[in-house]
Amino acid sequence: MVHLTAEEKALVTGLWGKVKVDEFGGEALGRLLVVYPWTQRFFDSFGDLSSADAVMGNPKVKAHGAKVLQSMGDGIKNLDNLKGTFSKLSELHCDKLHVDPENFRLLGNVLVCVLARHFGKDFTPAAQAAFQKVVVGVANALAAKYH
Amino acid sequence: MLSAQERAQVAQVWDLIAGHEAPFGAELLVRLFTVFPTTKTYFGHLGSCLDEVALLNHGQRMLMAVGVAVQYMDCLRAALAPLATMHAQMLRVDPANFALLSHCFQVVLASHLQDEFTVEMHAAWDKFLAEVAEVMSEQYR
Repeated sequence: MVHLTAEEKALVTGLWGKVKVDEFGGEALGRLLVVYPWTQRFFDSFGDLSSADAVMGNPKVKAHGAKVLQSMGDGIKNLDNLKGTFSKLSELHCDKLHVDPENFRLLGNVLVCVLARHFGKDFTPAAQAAFQKVVVGVANALAAKYH
Repeated sequence: MLSAQERAQVAQVWDLIAGHEAPFGAELLVRLFTVFPTTKTYFGHLGSCLDEVALLNHGQRMLMAVGVAVQYMDCLRAALAPLATMHAQMLRVDPANFALLSHCFQVVLASHLQDEFTVEMHAAWDKFLAEVAEVMSEQYR
């Protein structure tokens, strides 16, 4: 469960409306793989990840990043039921993909940096606080079915 | 350990911040307190009333210390020793908070630098701030 005030919900949905989901998703995943290179462990089949340029230009990274951020968008539409929204994805990440949930928190923080980069001054401290709640909520929901 | 290229990235950004430590520092603190309210527990009056002058003063102090770290990237331990001792023995800030500060610092950089906050710069600063945090935590026990 994530508890956002009405103001925070408005901040999140307002900014999310301006997010280029595919572009920002690719950038967020790319930055995760470059800033925290050990996260590349999950992406052996993605081809060339040998340099920052290779990662950021990698079509599989961009495509997967887009998919990830589209899911995040689903979460933002369902802030009152994040656990339900991410239940199947949580099972997948535990049982099939074996991803340590710490990675969800890392990606969440990278996404916040990407939003700050694109929105500049509009990404106010209040907006950041609201989005941090969202990414933490999503990370927790994704970890909920782990066993 | 930062590579030569990473050090250059860090120094390059610092050139943009130098001289503006107070407003950057104040924004850093406002983000820290707004996003992670538990951090206010370490800042007495500063945390509770967000007094602009106090934030600018303390923000400047913090960013000047980061400036020292940038200047002495090759010998962080020696350069930050007095601060590390102070945080360990006097302030006793739980080291988990250094990661929160590092994240907010990167958000400040991202929002101000925007296109100039390249992925290489992001990686270099995350690594640099992690090293600073590690040095700051070393004297705790």
